Amino acid sequence: MVEFLVRRVAISIVTLIVISVIVFIGVRMIPGDPARVMAGTDADAAGLEEIRAKYGLNDPIPVQYLRWAALALHGDLGRSIRTRDPVVTTVAKKLPITIELACLAVLIALAIAIPAGVLAAVRRNTAWDVLASGASLCGVSVPNFWLGIMLILLFAVRLGWLPASGFVPWWESPIANLQRMVMPAFVLGAALAAVLMRQTRNSMINVLGADYIRTAYSKGLAGRAVIFRHAIRNSLIPVVTILGLQAGALMSGAVVTEQIFVVPGFGRLIVESVFTRDYPLVQGVVLITASSYVLINLLVDVSYSLLDPRIRIGGTP
Amino acid sequence: MSATLDALPATPVAEPAGLLPRGWRRVLRRPASVLGGAVVLAFVAMALAAPWIARVDPAATDWSQIRKAPSMAHPFGTDDLGRDNFARVVWGSRVSMQAGVFSIVLAISVGVPLGLVAGYYRGALDQVIMRLTDAWLAFPFLILAIGLVTIMGPSLTNATVAIGLGATPTYIRLTRALVLATAAEDYVQSARALGAGDGRLMARHILPNIFSSLLVQATVSIPIAIIAEAVLSFLGLGVQPPTPSWGTMLNAAQQFLDSAPWMAWWPGLAIFALTLSFNLAGDGLRDLLDPKDY
Repeated sequence: MVEFLVRRVAISIVTLIVISVIVFIGVRMIPGDPARVMAGTDADAAGLEEIRAKYGLNDPIPVQYLRWAALALHGDLGRSIRTRDPVVTTVAKKLPITIELACLAVLIALAIAIPAGVLAAVRRNTAWDVLASGASLCGVSVPNFWLGIMLILLFAVRLGWLPASGFVPWWESPIANLQRMVMPAFVLGAALAAVLMRQTRNSMINVLGADYIRTAYSKGLAGRAVIFRHAIRNSLIPVVTILGLQAGALMSGAVVTEQIFVVPGFGRLIVESVFTRDYPLVQGVVLITASSYVLINLLVDVSYSLLDPRIRIGGTP
Repeated sequence: MSATLDALPATPVAEPAGLLPRGWRRVLRRPASVLGGAVVLAFVAMALAAPWIARVDPAATDWSQIRKAPSMAHPFGTDDLGRDNFARVVWGSRVSMQAGVFSIVLAISVGVPLGLVAGYYRGALDQVIMRLTDAWLAFPFLILAIGLVTIMGPSLTNATVAIGLGATPTYIRLTRALVLATAAEDYVQSARALGAGDGRLMARHILPNIFSSLLVQATVSIPIAIIAEAVLSFLGLGVQPPTPSWGTMLNAAQQFLDSAPWMAWWPGLAIFALTLSFNLAGDGLRDLLDPKDY
């Protein structure tokens, strides 16, 4: 167990280092003077000099990387060109909004996927199964930004039930907040629900074929009790892993969803920073996204190995 | 000899179905997959024959025809610059097909050799390639693509390259796993015992045997790439105006949802139809090529 954890953490650290190198090199590949790139086009000579001194832009590249990485580890990712605010502060302001959106999306996805997946597995090869699988296929195939536009068209423009876009913090008005979050959360959750439903169905079918389910039936338990008490619980373990692996897709999805519904979160920040050529912000945001993805998957792997003892012995692939 | 043949009169009954190879019969049993394949082919034909299908110039603006609802002259209506939406949807299929197919071709041509080398030689080289792949995979697909487009500048070519590079690690991982399994097979070992070199083993014995799995993965990744191109163009990071693309059309449509909703219907429906068909066809192909799964 300890060996597994050490190995897994070591691999994650190596991955994080490689990520930081990629991000560092990425920004260096932007044509032009790196100081000018980081300071913005309207910076004066003194501003450029300050940047050069801070990042030692006349030093050899490896030295520059180490200095940048050391600053990043201390939480200093530079300042936004546009607002002059520290990148970390800007991200900290936007991130909670996206986390709320993502949590709602996951809740919606689970609420759709698990009942549908279980139903499809229990009533295998019936109309229910075909319906659920067809819906899942559509969920995977529909471009989420188009789904978002169609929802706005229906619920905001046509029916006028929900506001088309915008954001209200939940502490100002929880109801207004939910009214504006429900459509983006559904759009973000739809693709996830499709993936999770497939996974739930497959793993439920596997579990239903297992010996202990037959034992449970043969000792006289009612069908309902077998499914709820034995089958569902065990079939959800792989679903947890898939949920972890989908964290990246959720982040990508948030970019698009926030753009359509004008939610001022992390995803919108990425697009804005790209359009304003705010390189320190792009660099910081990409670094934070990739690092958190690595950490989420580390947590999923570790929790998974706690849930299922067989994983620990096999080690990592 | 002839007596035995006479004794088996019932066999010809199965003949009509037997005219087709087993795999094809299996596919035909899934009409949805056949339909999906047909729709994909129809989109390919539409992309190739765009100039003949859409007689109107997709970039021609007409100030007297701004945001007109669908009619006989403009079956899909017109957009905010008076351009014919039907022509733009038809021409947009070119962009989508180009981005979808070329990006995956790029991902395969980079990813498969790397995965092949990693899985075949193992050891330190494998470790280096796989750690790089892990790091590459840690960037969410779209965010990596956005980052690359930021560096390279927005255009269809750059978006295609960015999507391709984003899809590459999947192919490195898949190829490596397939090579690890295939290289242990008896026929590879016996070819090695007969004196076949590394290059010959990889090219003649391993690659042909993992080809079908790679093809199945391609049918999964092409629709993802098509959506990714539409997303990048929708965000303004892909195809630049006035070139018609489904993503840029949806971007324009967003501002006129209450006055011209048809601007949003058709390009989105086109993406949906194409990706859904690709997924359906891919399912059928999986059945055809991967007997283990069936």
